[in-house]
Amino acid sequence: MGETFGDYAVLGKKMPRVDARLKVTGQAKYAADYDLPHMLWGQIKRSPYPHARILNIDTSKAEKLPGVKAVTTGKDFNGFKWGWSGPTRDEEPFATTKVRYQYEGVAAVAAIDQDIADEACDLIEVDYEPLPGVFDPFEAMKEGAPLVHEDRPENICVEYHWDFGDVDKAFAESHLVREDTFQTPRMAKGYIEPPAVVAYWADDSHVVFQGAKGSPYFPYRILAKCFNLPLSNIRVIQPFIGSDFGGTKNDMVHCDFAAPMLAKKTGRPVKLVYTQFDELTTCLRRHPMWVTVKTGVTKEGILTATSLKVIADGGAYTRMSPLTMFLVGTCMTLPYKLPNFKYDAYNYFTNNPSSAAMRGHGLYHSRFAADVQLEMIAEELGLDPVEIRLKNSIENPKPGEVYETVNEVHVASCGMQECIEKVAEAVNWKKVKGHKKVEGEKAYGMGFAAATYNSGTKLSAHNACAAIVRICEDGSVNYLTGASDVGQGSDTVTCAIAAEVLGIGLDDIDLKRVDTAFTPVDPGSYGSRVTVLAGQAARNAALDAKRQLLEVAAKQFEVKPEDVEIKNKQVFVKSNPEKNMPWWKLVRIACYDTPGKVIIGRGYSTQGISMYGLADFSKGVGDIGTNYSFTAQANEVEVDVETGVVRCTDNSVIAHDCGFPLNPQAVETQCQGGAYHQGIAAALYEEFKMDKGQTLNPNFIDYKRPRANEAPMSKVIHVLTNDPYGPYGAKEASEGSTCSAPPAIINAIHNATGIWIKDLPAQPEKLFWALKEKREKDKGKK
Amino acid sequence: MKGELKELKLTVNGKPYEFKVKPQTLLVDLLRQELKLTGTKIGCLDSACGACTVHIDGKAVRSCSVLAMQANGRKVTTIEGVADGDKLHPIQEAMVEHGAIECGFCTPGMVMSSKALLDENPNPTREEIREAIQGNLCADEGYVKYIEAVEIAAEKMRGGQ
Amino acid sequence: MIADFEYFAPKTVEEALSLLSQYKEAKIIAGGQSLLVVLKQRLLTPEYLIDIKGISALDYINYDESKGLRVGALTLHRTIEKSPVIQKHFGVLSEMEKNLATIQTRNWGTIGGNLCHGDPAGDPASVLIALNANLKLASSAGERTISMEEFSKDYLEVDLKSGEMLIEIQVPTPPARTGTAYEKLMVMKGDMGIIGAAVSVTLSGKDGVCQDARIALGSAASIPLRAKEAEGKLMGKVLSDSLLIEAGEAAAAETDPPVDVHGSPEYRREMVKVFVRRVAQIALEKAKAA
Repeated sequence: MGETFGDYAVLGKKMPRVDARLKVTGQAKYAADYDLPHMLWGQIKRSPYPHARILNIDTSKAEKLPGVKAVTTGKDFNGFKWGWSGPTRDEEPFATTKVRYQYEGVAAVAAIDQDIADEACDLIEVDYEPLPGVFDPFEAMKEGAPLVHEDRPENICVEYHWDFGDVDKAFAESHLVREDTFQTPRMAKGYIEPPAVVAYWADDSHVVFQGAKGSPYFPYRILAKCFNLPLSNIRVIQPFIGSDFGGTKNDMVHCDFAAPMLAKKTGRPVKLVYTQFDELTTCLRRHPMWVTVKTGVTKEGILTATSLKVIADGGAYTRMSPLTMFLVGTCMTLPYKLPNFKYDAYNYFTNNPSSAAMRGHGLYHSRFAADVQLEMIAEELGLDPVEIRLKNSIENPKPGEVYETVNEVHVASCGMQECIEKVAEAVNWKKVKGHKKVEGEKAYGMGFAAATYNSGTKLSAHNACAAIVRICEDGSVNYLTGASDVGQGSDTVTCAIAAEVLGIGLDDIDLKRVDTAFTPVDPGSYGSRVTVLAGQAARNAALDAKRQLLEVAAKQFEVKPEDVEIKNKQVFVKSNPEKNMPWWKLVRIACYDTPGKVIIGRGYSTQGISMYGLADFSKGVGDIGTNYSFTAQANEVEVDVETGVVRCTDNSVIAHDCGFPLNPQAVETQCQGGAYHQGIAAALYEEFKMDKGQTLNPNFIDYKRPRANEAPMSKVIHVLTNDPYGPYGAKEASEGSTCSAPPAIINAIHNATGIWIKDLPAQPEKLFWALKEKREKDKGKK
Repeated sequence: MKGELKELKLTVNGKPYEFKVKPQTLLVDLLRQELKLTGTKIGCLDSACGACTVHIDGKAVRSCSVLAMQANGRKVTTIEGVADGDKLHPIQEAMVEHGAIECGFCTPGMVMSSKALLDENPNPTREEIREAIQGNLCADEGYVKYIEAVEIAAEKMRGGQ
Repeated sequence: MIADFEYFAPKTVEEALSLLSQYKEAKIIAGGQSLLVVLKQRLLTPEYLIDIKGISALDYINYDESKGLRVGALTLHRTIEKSPVIQKHFGVLSEMEKNLATIQTRNWGTIGGNLCHGDPAGDPASVLIALNANLKLASSAGERTISMEEFSKDYLEVDLKSGEMLIEIQVPTPPARTGTAYEKLMVMKGDMGIIGAAVSVTLSGKDGVCQDARIALGSAASIPLRAKEAEGKLMGKVLSDSLLIEAGEAAAAETDPPVDVHGSPEYRREMVKVFVRRVAQIALEKAKAA
């Protein structure tokens, strides 16, 4: 850690984030921090029932309460429905005919202060007819079960059946076949900033929306449809965002519709801030999944075939479950060579809050199951866990070559083997493996895992991604982006790319955050796409601006443009550096010499789209990513064998192949965070406990979040593979570590205690009973 | 009388203020709404996340769990009062330099908790640093770089490099 | 968010007691670290709130060997944690405070507020029971003293009559050769314990026989539970490992653990066995060294 990479002026080196200073001084404004003149405060009326018909909504008492300025219900939206894609538009801004999860919104109020808004909501009278509900996929799939959506028989939201090669034949010929079922928990996205929005109408046909949205072009399009306005009348201005993790802040929630509607009705700005209770009871969650994986291997432990069956709880609405279930399956053929693969996926509607993306989207479920099972297989065959992974890993394709999986996923760079070797070396695997350490009631074990994640996601209809570089007359540079930095550091990295191309410093670039009136479009912060795709857009925009400047320089120096270079803010002739001038002078000449140019560079991403075509969800073929990251991880745990409490020790190493670390420090932070917050948290701590649609632990005390005292001080090793399809060779950073952490922990627990915890999280009570059972079994054997 | 406004006098970031507040006003709401000091954040309702951490008389407390009236006659410091004009406090500088800051929502609270630690204990162990920020949830960064940044700041403040 | 109330901020105990006798329905707020969560969720909507945080006269730690420890009800958790007097003479109280929530809570919350909240998951109560502590309550009618054990009546219910408030915690100087220890089952540092065990053992000077044992359990019932059967196993005996195990098992049988998301009653009972044994071991070692 702390190294620099490559031979660049800005990239590959330590670079403080462009927004760090604003954040560390408290100046950065998030959605809830905005305060506008005449602003009203909003609140949402929510259903106490998880499944009920709405018979009547009476808002009259609320409307009469002094201080209330407007009330809205679902009827105001005239039957508008929205969804993540065309076929999945099944959700209304507010429920009109029935509610499908507890605390689903049915109305909203705007008032002169929060207390009055809250009181007004209490005065809204709603008559419900409670309906029987289904609260997990197994209830949902029963014959005759109540339907969450009347037009969706058997409560099936998504169903896929993929078949590659000949799995049954391969099983028949395998030396060992084993089948195991794993379970991943229902999890909160976990960001600390709850959703919030401030909206107002500049005039009766132009709306301004400032919300905590990780993909602002989603509300941009959805609000246009909702209010029947052209896109150019929707202005989404991005505040700072307190993380997204691919969840709620991508997609719309009630406040995103309520605020603009109430602002329209009142002619005043309306602010609506969710509480963490609202977030934890209603907002999007990671799907709980039941993952059955059946795998065959040869005597040497080489994978022959995998059959994967997944049952998922999609919650009340479709949201992006079609993508989730695709992602669960698509990378089963990575990072190990797999010649035969079958996938059966069933995602059910239930009367729970909707499930959707979360860091490590999709892959985290199946890679967890696969990599724990691989460990089980290694144990059964008496093989070393590192060796079996190395044997099966896809080799790094030679330059110009591409590895293709059976489901037509294309990998041009794969640092898997190097990652595994480097981690094994870092933890001294040869020495520690199999060496059990017990100190009193504490047992220690080391677990190994490997994972992959797709990078530069490209989806149908959502790929256009652009940037603008505007050179101001004094040499300062505006970088206009459609991309959103939700904390992952994309602002810094894209500015750094622009600085690198232009030959100036990162400090010389001023980022202009998303304002859809002025910034170009970008799909959003999901699918690990921003560095790869928005990075490419940044590069192209900077190249375009540079080209325009080089033309001017060429005239000045009386050479061809390709003979001129800019480095360290000096413009010079390559073959004769004596001919030079400072950057600011070139810009001045360009902008002022009559008639004066306006230097604006535009660029958009072409990467990935033109490569192999888009993925086909129903058949399971094709690339969802532009390229793929690879991660290996080793974690040591300490298990109190009497209580079942598991703690990570500081002995934790992650090797991550992100192609080329454009901002090495940010890659490290991201990997440490991804491994701990979304990975280890799933393995050890987090789970929503539900009772017939009611969330029993909707707060950060009863829903345990990872904290500083228990954080492993993970070391991150960078592995470089210089992918040809990422800007400067870059691929995504850290979602791989989200996927490698859970199996590493579970494998470590097994190493320490001999037990397998297959349903996450490995909370103390689970370990306690499993250890007790094992002790009794062992006694019985003697 | 119920809901009667009460007089409140306190110092915030070195400046004296006088207010008339509803007694149920929480300190965090006074800071954010009356004084527009929005650097202190609200992340939860359950005294769990620490995003609202400020100092009262130099001690780190959760401003969401303190009635504004209880700050009467006391000195409150928020994140906005940490830097010295343009000059960042060593803790802030270290967090920026070391890459500890991601989405930034927990950052003000982290600064306040770690500053309270270093003000009292200039040479903390790593365990003590972990303890100081145990009440501050982060969802992004894994705590590693925050812990290391505080170590770096502590060393700098003690005169090392 | 919080419902309206009429607010008073007395500066002396007399003022507070006078207000309490005047407004029978009033709720007291000290540090508010427990109460504010409840008020924010509107689980309680008191008409009158008496803010006693400003009564500096109740913030003290006094010790002398004859009277023992006297802690004012408004002493901060953090003050108790850091007090050299307490660290020296009643170390278990300081150790207990180290894991009570987080520093921010300890910097504002008071021991009195914690005890009056009456949560069986609270750490101080079981430790004070093990230390044989008493509580001094005052009203405008006078004062009375009640044992820590008797103060707990039910879940979130304590023996505070109308017009009364807690003013002092009294911990007697332990007899010679006494050791007291406390541990709780946490997943993360600062968690409320899934269960907690406070154990005090006193050994006789001559033969090391256990003269007195006090075992108090947290999160094992609706109140901090005194495990008398378990104590009976230890009294009058030389404490061996197997005896400590027996005590743990007896204690587990006495519990009536809550049902919540953190652990089943069966698991909590198993953990009582483990923790009573472990904590008794630590207390025994402390007693031998004393």
